[in-house]
Parts: sequence; structure tokens; C-alpha cells
Amino acid sequence: MKQRVQPRSLFIGLSLLCLLAVWLSLALGPVSLPLLDTLRAGLRLLGVPIAADGLEQAELILGQIRLPRTLLGLAVGAVLALSGVAMQGLFRNPLADPGLVGVASGAALGAAIAIVGGSWLGGIPEWFAPYLLSVCAFAGGLGVTALVYRLGRRDGQTNVATMLLAGIALTALAGSAVGLFTYLADDATLRTLTFWNLGSLNGASYARLWPLLVVTLAVALWLPRRAQALNALLLGESEARHLGVEVESLKRELVFCTALGVGAAVAAAGLIGFIGLVVPHLVRLLAGPDHRVLLPASLLAGGSLLLFADLVARLALAPAELPIGIVTAFIGAPFFLLLLLKGRH
Amino acid sequence: MRRPAALLALCAALVMSTQTAAAELAQRWVSAGGALSEWISALGGEQRLVGVDTTSQHPEALTALPSIGYQRQLSAEGILSLRPDLLVGTDEMGPPPVLAQIRQAGVRVEVFSSKPELAALDANLEKLGRLLGEDGRAGLLAGQFHHELDAVQTKVKQAQAAQKAPGVLLLVGHAGAKPLIAGAGTSGDWLLGQAGGRNLAEHQGYKNFSVEALAALDPDVVVIADRSLSGEQAVQALLKENPGLASSRAVREKRLVSLDPTLLVGGLGPRLPATLQQLAGEFYPQAKASFAP
Repeated sequence: MKQRVQPRSLFIGLSLLCLLAVWLSLALGPVSLPLLDTLRAGLRLLGVPIAADGLEQAELILGQIRLPRTLLGLAVGAVLALSGVAMQGLFRNPLADPGLVGVASGAALGAAIAIVGGSWLGGIPEWFAPYLLSVCAFAGGLGVTALVYRLGRRDGQTNVATMLLAGIALTALAGSAVGLFTYLADDATLRTLTFWNLGSLNGASYARLWPLLVVTLAVALWLPRRAQALNALLLGESEARHLGVEVESLKRELVFCTALGVGAAVAAAGLIGFIGLVVPHLVRLLAGPDHRVLLPASLLAGGSLLLFADLVARLALAPAELPIGIVTAFIGAPFFLLLLLKGRH
Repeated sequence: MRRPAALLALCAALVMSTQTAAAELAQRWVSAGGALSEWISALGGEQRLVGVDTTSQHPEALTALPSIGYQRQLSAEGILSLRPDLLVGTDEMGPPPVLAQIRQAGVRVEVFSSKPELAALDANLEKLGRLLGEDGRAGLLAGQFHHELDAVQTKVKQAQAAQKAPGVLLLVGHAGAKPLIAGAGTSGDWLLGQAGGRNLAEHQGYKNFSVEALAALDPDVVVIADRSLSGEQAVQALLKENPGLASSRAVREKRLVSLDPTLLVGGLGPRLPATLQQLAGEFYPQAKASFAP
């Protein structure tokens, strides 16, 4: 048996890592703020009455740019990692990824419709136009996932294998529809579409943040309640049923949480790959397959990893910015390979 | 003793007066549009630029400035780190939440039209002139642009008396492979029309064509805007990647023209009149001498 990290020390370590990520994400950026100013502006934002002399810029950058961005990164990373755990539990396969049930490809289709179609449509009310992309991506993700779930059901039973295949088929279908929109797009919308597919935490604002925060909180509170049931499901569906788990309702909840969580994350930040697949896997390598540890640890690790990736995204080419999807895979993939190779011995 | 003091006072007064005059104009500019950056340089504002986007490639000195990335994917904090007073860009600039954050930080954001139309260009130049405090020069440049365009038009009309307007296609490609054809509504289409060519492509925007469809259109002249090769190399690469083109009239008669693709991005730029002269010369070989810039 491989030496595993004790849950207690894992949680302490990950919490410290997460705090470090949050601190760095607030303290570093292309605009170099003196440390003292960052601290004072931070205290002012928390409501501590400090004289505002010369702090206007620091307060603006911290409050309007870095803080919403940090919260967005934490929420997106956390909810993607949690959805990854849910999917890997559902399919009882560590290679499962939230994309399997079609939520990512559905969201991409929704986004393509919004980006390319929105420029033809016109006549969209002004107040709604900025949210069109997010709403379409969310609806697309949810819609395709619902279809995949529906196709996997027969006689009141959900067949996971059928669902998997339906997910692959619908992903291909949505992919070709995105391709069609890509063909119809003009140069400018094409670039927008390409960048959306790589994801970004750029331009985060509180108005766009709160729906995601609510969803993330709901998923983060709900999934750990089902940790025991997920553990039972690891043994197999009939075994879980014998242990008294309502398997059908568990599957429904897992699919629903994933669709909701990934849909909201993608709507807020575009497609960010890799986190949902690798973070749960990483935590499992460290701490074993117990979902009572896996779920909260993945939440912390996912949020931290995304914040670190975002730091690279915004600092590497400053004043320009890299799409974060490039960075998550670029840092994460070699690290993942390293762990895999180490785990083999 | 008294004289140096007076001199000092005079110097101080001079410095103060230039500073007060300059304080009304934005001193630190960031430009997120290729053609806009070119016009800013042409108006003598190059030294005010502290950052440009990836489409600003001309004049070449601009490429040494800090890059703020692609115009549609700007970063608020990145741009603020350059401490600009003013951000200029076309209506393609974004994303909107980032522009809102930049405005919130007290940076003036001015949006210009990227339409390939003369009216849009006039409005853009007037606004740029105002922002730079170079209204006179902007008016002069606009007048000159119109004048040169009119001159090309007149000469095209004269040339058309002897030769009918050639059917042309504009291919935008990458080392010759899978070229996109410029259709209606693109700045490429505007360029072909102004130079007296008849664009054979009737679709909207840039689209892929099969070589067969391309050969069927049988253009008299093919214009090639290649992103990685230029001049004769671009022509050779296109023929090598698309051997089917060899039978078309343009190739048989060796009427293939290479065009700088940066001319096609972000609205009408100051280098266009010279390009039009050159294109019109290729479209009307008998009148080529009259199109010398």
C-alpha cells in the first residue's frame, strides 16, 4: 500500500496553499502596487476607516479588478474540480471529465450561437446584450446534458454506459454545429470564438460573479452530503443499492450538479479544460479515493490551481494577457505526468 | 547675479506655459487598432504612444512598444500598468467589461469606426486630430487622402476607355495554403473596387473556396495577401499549393499581384492610396505609367 497523506495534514496544506494563492492573486498584477498600499486598500475595502489619501488607484485596482477576478478564479476552479469528482464517481473511472456528459460542448454550441448569431440578430435589448453569451452558454450546457441524461434512461433506470456513448455522440454533433458557425463567422467573430474556447478570467465584475458564486456554494454544500453514497457507488451499482443507496437519485443529482456547476463556470469564464479532469485525480493520488476527503480537498486544490494559472496568464506577457486555458494545461499536464510516473513505482 | 535669476524665471515660465497647454491634451496614448496607430504616427503623435495592440505593425518603430495583446482580448490591469491618459481603438476593441474597468480607472476611452468607408475615415481623422491638438494637419491629411483617391479614380476612368474593368479576386492565405477569398463588405473588396477591379466574389466576408470554383470564376488578375510570405515568394507558394490554378487566365498571363495583408486590418490606413496606385497599375497594364505614385 502506498503511503498516503493524512487527511488532516492534507487539509492544512491545501488551505495554506489556497490562502497563498488568494494573497498572490490580490497582491500581484501588471500594475505594481506597493505592498503597504495593497494592505491599506484591502482594509478600506473591508470597511476599516483609513484615510484615503493616495489610495484611489490601489483601491480601484484591488476592489474592481483583482478581487472580482480572484473570486471568479476560486469559484470556477472549485466548481470544475467538484464536478470532476462527481463525474469520476458516477462513471467509476478516474479518466472521466465533466465534458463527458456534453456540458462543455453544449456550452460551446450556445456560445457559438450567441457570438455568431448575435451579430446577425440585432434588436437584442441593450441591457441584455452583455449577458447574451453567458446565458446561451449556460442554456446550451444544461440542454445538451439533459438530452444525454434522457438518452441514457430506459425503464426508469439510467444506464451509465449508454449515457457515456450518448455523450460522445452529442459532443460530436455539437462540435460539428460549432464548426458550421465557425464557417459562417466573419474574421472578427471568429477570433472572439477562438478566445472564448480558451477561457479567461479577464474582465470579471461583481454583476457577472454572483450567479456563479451561488451555484458554486450550492454544489459545494450539496455534493459532500453525498460523499458516503459516492463511496458506496465505487463498489458497483448493485452493491451500492444493497448498501441502501438510492442509486438512481444519486446519478440524477450528480449529473444535475455537474451541468449546473460547469454550465455556470463556463458561462462566466469560457471553456477552461484540464482542471476537472486532473485535480480530482491529483488529490486521489495524494489522499486516496475516500470522497469525504476527496470532495473538499478537490475544491481547495481546484481553486488554488486556477488562481496560480491565472497569475501566469496575466503576468507572463504583461501588459498583454494569455488565455488561461493555455496555462492550466501547460502547467498541469507535465505535473500530472510526473505524478503518474512516480505512482507507477 | 540678477541675470541668471531672471533667466531661470524665464525658463520656468516657459516650462509652465507649455505644460499648461499640454495638460489639456492626453499625453500618454495606448492604441488598439492598426490603422489608427498608423494615422497617429502620420499626425506626429508617435512619441505619445506608450503601448499598442498586436495589429499595430506600421510604422515598424511601433513594434518596439509594449504590446497590449489582441484588440478584442485586452486586459484592464495590463493597460493601466502603462499609466495611459487615453485608450483609442476601433469598434472591434473589447471585451466590454474590460473597457468599463479602464474607464472606471479614469482613463479616457475613445472608440473609432473600423468600416472601410471614406465617411468613417474622415470622422476618425477629425477626432484623432482634435485629440492630438493637430486639427490642421488632420484636415490636410484627409484632404490629401481624398485627393489621391480621386486622382486614382480619374485615371481608372481614363484607362477604362481603352480596357474594360478586369475581373479580380483577392486571396488571403498563409504560405499559399487554403486561401480565403475576400467578398463584399471587407476592406479587401473596397480596395479592389477603388483600384478599378471588378471583384468576382459575391459572398459576404472572407470565405474558403475550392480551387475548382476559383478556376471557374476565371479571374483576369489574382491579388494575393499572404500572412507569412511576400512578393514573388507568395505568388510561387500559392501556385505550388494550388496547382489547379495554373489553367486560369491570371496565371497564364502572369497577372498575379502580391499585397501586404496588414493593409486589410482595422479600417482605412494612410498607406492605402499608394497601394491603390500600384494595384490599378497592375489592373490596367496599358496605363501603368500613369499610375506611378
